[in-house]
Amino acid sequence: MRDQIDKQSNPFCPLSTGGWSGGGKHNMRKKSPQSTVSASQAFFTHLSCGLALAAGFWVSHNVYSINLVSHPDHTLFLIWVIQCPLVVLFYSCFRKNPEKCLYLKAVARGLLGLPLGALLNALGALALGAPVGIQYLKRTINWSLMMSLFTVVPATSVYGSSWTDWHRIFAQTKPNGALDYMVCLPAHGALIGAWFGAWPMPLDWERPWQEWPVCVSYGAMVGYAVGMVGSFALVLAQGKQKYRKAE
Amino acid sequence: MLQFTCTKLVLFTVAGVIVQIIGLSLFVFGFFPVKPSLSGASGPESFYEPICDIVENRNVTTLHPEQLKHLYQELSGIPPSFDRLILMVIDGLPAEFILGKDGQPPSKKLMEAMPFTQSLLASGLAIGYHAKAAPPTVTMPRLKAMVSGAIGGFLDVAFNFNTQALLDDNILEQFFRIGRKMVMLGDETWLKLFPGLFTRHDGVSSFFVKDTVQVDQNVSRHLGYELSKDDWNLLILHYLGVDHVGHIGGRSSVLMPSKLMEMDEVVKMIHSRTMETQENNQQRTLLMVVSDHGMTENGNHGGSSYEETDSLVLVIGLRNHASDYASAIQNTAHQVDIAPTLALLFGVPIPKNNVGVLISEAFDALKDDQQLRALELNSWQLLRLLQEELPGLPCQKFPCDGFSNHQGSCTNECDHSIERKLCSLYKNAADLHSSWKSKKGSQSSSGKDYSYTVAAYYKFLKSASEWLSCRTTEKPVSLLAAGVVTMFISCMILLSLIFGLVRDVYLPANRQISNSTDSRERWSLVDKFVLGVVLILIISMGSSSMVEEEHYIWHFVLSTYYLLLLRKSAQSLTTIGTQNSFSLFKGEKGKNYLWLPFVIMLLISGRILRGWHQGGVNWTSLPDISTWLEQSGSDLVKLVQLISAILVISLGLFALLLLGSKGKLFMMVKFSFLISGLLVLLHILKYQDDTLASSNFGATFLAQAIYAILGTATLGTVVALPWVIPLVISTMSSNLKILSPSLVSVGIQDKFPVVELRDTLYMSGWAYVIFWCLLQLLLQQPINSTPILLLLLQILASILYYSSDGMCYKELVEVAALYYLGMAGHFALGNSNTLATIDVAGAFIGISSHSTLLSGILMFIITYASPMFVLLSLLLYISMKTTSYLVIPEKADSGNLLIKLLGLPCLVPLGLNSILLTAYTVVLLLMRNHLFVWSVFSPKYLYVCATTVCNYIGVCIVASTGIYTYLVLTIRQRRQVAIK
Repeated sequence: MRDQIDKQSNPFCPLSTGGWSGGGKHNMRKKSPQSTVSASQAFFTHLSCGLALAAGFWVSHNVYSINLVSHPDHTLFLIWVIQCPLVVLFYSCFRKNPEKCLYLKAVARGLLGLPLGALLNALGALALGAPVGIQYLKRTINWSLMMSLFTVVPATSVYGSSWTDWHRIFAQTKPNGALDYMVCLPAHGALIGAWFGAWPMPLDWERPWQEWPVCVSYGAMVGYAVGMVGSFALVLAQGKQKYRKAE
Repeated sequence: MLQFTCTKLVLFTVAGVIVQIIGLSLFVFGFFPVKPSLSGASGPESFYEPICDIVENRNVTTLHPEQLKHLYQELSGIPPSFDRLILMVIDGLPAEFILGKDGQPPSKKLMEAMPFTQSLLASGLAIGYHAKAAPPTVTMPRLKAMVSGAIGGFLDVAFNFNTQALLDDNILEQFFRIGRKMVMLGDETWLKLFPGLFTRHDGVSSFFVKDTVQVDQNVSRHLGYELSKDDWNLLILHYLGVDHVGHIGGRSSVLMPSKLMEMDEVVKMIHSRTMETQENNQQRTLLMVVSDHGMTENGNHGGSSYEETDSLVLVIGLRNHASDYASAIQNTAHQVDIAPTLALLFGVPIPKNNVGVLISEAFDALKDDQQLRALELNSWQLLRLLQEELPGLPCQKFPCDGFSNHQGSCTNECDHSIERKLCSLYKNAADLHSSWKSKKGSQSSSGKDYSYTVAAYYKFLKSASEWLSCRTTEKPVSLLAAGVVTMFISCMILLSLIFGLVRDVYLPANRQISNSTDSRERWSLVDKFVLGVVLILIISMGSSSMVEEEHYIWHFVLSTYYLLLLRKSAQSLTTIGTQNSFSLFKGEKGKNYLWLPFVIMLLISGRILRGWHQGGVNWTSLPDISTWLEQSGSDLVKLVQLISAILVISLGLFALLLLGSKGKLFMMVKFSFLISGLLVLLHILKYQDDTLASSNFGATFLAQAIYAILGTATLGTVVALPWVIPLVISTMSSNLKILSPSLVSVGIQDKFPVVELRDTLYMSGWAYVIFWCLLQLLLQQPINSTPILLLLLQILASILYYSSDGMCYKELVEVAALYYLGMAGHFALGNSNTLATIDVAGAFIGISSHSTLLSGILMFIITYASPMFVLLSLLLYISMKTTSYLVIPEKADSGNLLIKLLGLPCLVPLGLNSILLTAYTVVLLLMRNHLFVWSVFSPKYLYVCATTVCNYIGVCIVASTGIYTYLVLTIRQRRQVAIK
């Protein structure tokens, strides 16, 4: 029944149209709006996000023949532009209360969350010592848009403006259920990765990648990837647990 | 369970601090050995025996160089063997490349790379030495060792931070004094060491390590011209190429053979050209090819391994020297031996601090008596140095006319074996020498006697040299180990005190208050992070560039902490709203929303502080606010400075007014702070902009007046306030209500004057803070006024945040965070871990006559402005933090209260500092062979030591003020009760 609603309301949702082997069954079984995610859905979502990241690199390298070190702002721009539709479209499928909330609305609030999250990320980075200046402006904007896609946009698409959910994910860091894992772990991974990525910056190695925001971006991406793998593992583990309980 | 009493705690703390001081001084004396250094330069007196004080004090400076030259020649009795010297320094060339190792010639590839040099060695025209260099094997200290014969210590480099010029006696200076002309081509280090000594020079920079070709071409391009000229006596060539090749590709780099070939060509060219000139105009030229240090397999240097210390001395041009190849490559010497050898060969006095021994083969061409004379001169110079080191050296007591009749008395007079040994060695040599001299006329048995004398002299020289150089380079392991262990013990004492305090005093009290085991505070993420920062700092200390860029770390961890605080506050935001948890004080709820402006202010002002001075070493060229302001003009700087100063002063006065107490003393205090604030403003307006005026009488007087008024006002406030503050008995109308909720239960207030204590501490704390701010406004550079204001804001915001944080018991974490704030501010004021950033100019404000002590104190005040600021503001923290709830009325005694108020705020800075100090000591010990040990790690160690001193002073002030105030108030209360 939910599949039907999904199909009716969001013809673009990439996850509701495909012939999912496990997805439909799991969805049918679960009543709670929190646990509408199966392991395969989580896997596919994370895989596409990861592939989008790789595609960003591929496009910038092969089409424009630039890379993160030589043209950080342009490369970051390509990455977030390619990443953005995938993240928004995928995570909007998992929106809370899909009965009440239209797919397009989730997409819209995801898109709205992009600049807001970028602002938050940029402010955080500046507070932590990111350089201020006209020559860094483009890089900072593109970097924070990318970070926003890693951290804030999934949460806005999924939870909207529900304070309790935000509080649970970002203030308490107490993810509860598969969906929470999928939002929480990659976001925290990206933040922690970016934090660690900043450490080589003051060293005197005189490498071009020590520039803002190259190594921070690398750190964030690594953290994001680790977060996605972790989230998938947890979703898998949880699925098994529930399966056992159900049996 | 260990119970703390007040006296016990104080005793343990003091013991810990004293143990730490002992450990620190043990380590410092072990690690930075003080070099036996004699000031001044050797003059004619060096040609007389040191034990006679009969040398007429002839003023050599008035003599014309030519006259001086003749005087030296006449006194020394050794005719100069050479007229000209070419000193060719090949940076980083290991002697192994030319002389091989263990008597074996070098590999075939290397032999082929330098065919000419090898042919010289084989034909006996040259003689090579493995000259052992002393660590640190870095160019500048090694050059100093070569020309002065002395092995420098670190501290004399560190305390010499304004000049790089070599101030010690050295052969270049001696050459210059007798009018020798000198030319230098090559590494510009020579120009830094000897400014103004060279007639002509062409310096190249060793900065571009990647460049291996141009750097040597720049040296060789003038070589032909210089060799054709005959107006110089000393030509120094310093080739950097080999070192650069090593840094790029290591010893077996593919570039190495061609580079060596190039060096060989240079040697060949010099040799052939000097041969020509020698035949033409009878000028005898000595070519000395030396290297300053070797290199490891990877091409690095700086440490003390054999590969690095194996430097080369190759003497070309000694006459009638017939030796076979094997004996030409097997000799060993020390790098410091170059100085006395050259000095004696060229007829100048041996530099005063030389510890080297002349190279015997260089003097083979001389007559026997001249050779003995050279040995004698070298011995006398070393004896002088020994006398400085060992004041009890008995040889000096001998009259200078007779030697023979004192043979036996030496042993009776000396107690120490080393003194006795050196003394008897010298006596032996001197006796043999004098007997040889007396027998010389008869020509009876000179051959045997002569060789005995030479052997005796060498024995003395070698052992004296060895002993002297050991004194300067040896790091006494036992001393270092004892120092580290002692520091570790003190660190353990202080840490166990802190943890004991937390366990015994804070946790039980907290349990009592919170009533439920469930809400017993666990260590939250913020707390873990704050404690983890210590670990981050310790790890980062191991990297030289992290030490150079330490300000990044402090700012990064501090702003991360503030962001985590935001997160933590966001956590509590909804727990208050949603959970109906048990809350002891309902009034506290509103307080929880106060955090936001404080944390945001902390973040913003922290970021501005970070951007104010770029700081560090590697990224100084990046733009920062201070350079931007300074480039925009002095008017803008002044405006910003005035605004910050006025804001600081009005903030301070506002805080004092807020207390609202009336009475003569309060008025006096406010008035005197206002006056001194205005005077500081006047000083800024009138004197600070031009440097000329700052040294005149008016400015000095004004500054002194400010010191006096500020000092009296602060001291007066702190001392007199406890006596005059009105005691409130059993009424809860505290005038502090606005600032912090009074949670004092009536039971405690009856027993102890808690409210008054906190009022007084609040007032004293503000007095200290205003005192310190005004002092800094006066002393700091104009550009640093805004950082002072921002620091004040940050400290106030943190303290207000902590006091509004309700019942949080984690004083440990809060005081640690304040300590970090102080360290971050230290770097925000433009300080760094190099000695170059110490503001020397400000250290003379208000000092009328030159006084090292006073300007040292001022320099300390300027440099440690921020850590001290935080420590002084701890009194404010104590007075505003609601800690008195910790006291359980039934159990409370006077010591308990005091411990709870002062315990952690005093112990945490000491504990943190002891951790960092101990860790850094271990790091320094591990890094003792690192390339940057003298340039990066050792200056940082000096800063760490100074921070330790700063902590002692600050904690001492806080603790004594707290205890004094408390004692006075208790006495007064008892009296009042007694009267009733």
